[in-house]
Amino acid sequence: MDPRDAGIDSLLRRSLAAPVPSLSPDFDQRLMREVRRGSQPLDRYGRILLAGYGLISALTCGVVMRSRGLDWGAITVTIIGPLALIAAARWTRRRTHTTMKHG
Amino acid sequence: MDNDSQLVAGAQSGDQQAFAELVRRHSAPVFRLAVSILGREFIPEAEDVAQEVFLKVHHAIESFRGEAEFSSWIYRITFNQAVNLKARVRFRSPHADETVLYRAMTPEPGPERQAETAQRDEALAECIRTLPEVYQSALRLYYWLGAGVSEVAVLLGVPENTVKSYLHRARQLLHGMLKEKGYSCD
Repeated sequence: MDPRDAGIDSLLRRSLAAPVPSLSPDFDQRLMREVRRGSQPLDRYGRILLAGYGLISALTCGVVMRSRGLDWGAITVTIIGPLALIAAARWTRRRTHTTMKHG
Repeated sequence: MDNDSQLVAGAQSGDQQAFAELVRRHSAPVFRLAVSILGREFIPEAEDVAQEVFLKVHHAIESFRGEAEFSSWIYRITFNQAVNLKARVRFRSPHADETVLYRAMTPEPGPERQAETAQRDEALAECIRTLPEVYQSALRLYYWLGAGVSEVAVLLGVPENTVKSYLHRARQLLHGMLKEKGYSCD
């Protein structure tokens, strides 16, 4: 270490000397509580609310698209198509993971 | 004892105990890395970053393919999360000033000398804040948190020689900046 480096090195050692902080002792427990809360499946009320919201959205989209002159076949594909794609992507990803874990 | 990849596989299949063990193993280094980026003024925020990181990891653990070490993955997330938070809290008043913490630790002989030291420390802290994030983090890990070069290398995800060069370059830059401000480093 050259003298210039040594000077700033010792200054940094003195200047940055302070108590080293640590995580709160209950950090792990608090975090795992959050994790469990976040990964809980929806309760019955939540599922009904979500299903109702989805149904009303789909119906509204259908009515609006019909009023624009689209036929029911195209409307069904437009609404169901993206949902089917998401489901297929999730299924493929899950399958890939299972194959990787056991392979 | 299970290694990280076994624990990750367990966590991916929904084993909460495996995830809890990963948290137990990695929470301290994640917090050290976060605190090294945010600095001494934002220690509570560093704990928030650590919590956010683990929640993100839990949410995304299925997408972890094991191509890199789990620790490298989590430290990369921590670095990005802390840098993002730092950009948001930059203009907020800190919980404690870095130089106040230092003064509380090292009593100086006289008030004049004490004022001089405080001024120089304040100038140094200001200079450090203008350095690139990786230099700041490497400096705080090495000089404040007492991490060795190898630990800094693991946390920053770079080779040890790169850490040595970060530290050397940071010291050179600080030396120049302090000189410009009229402070001696001896």
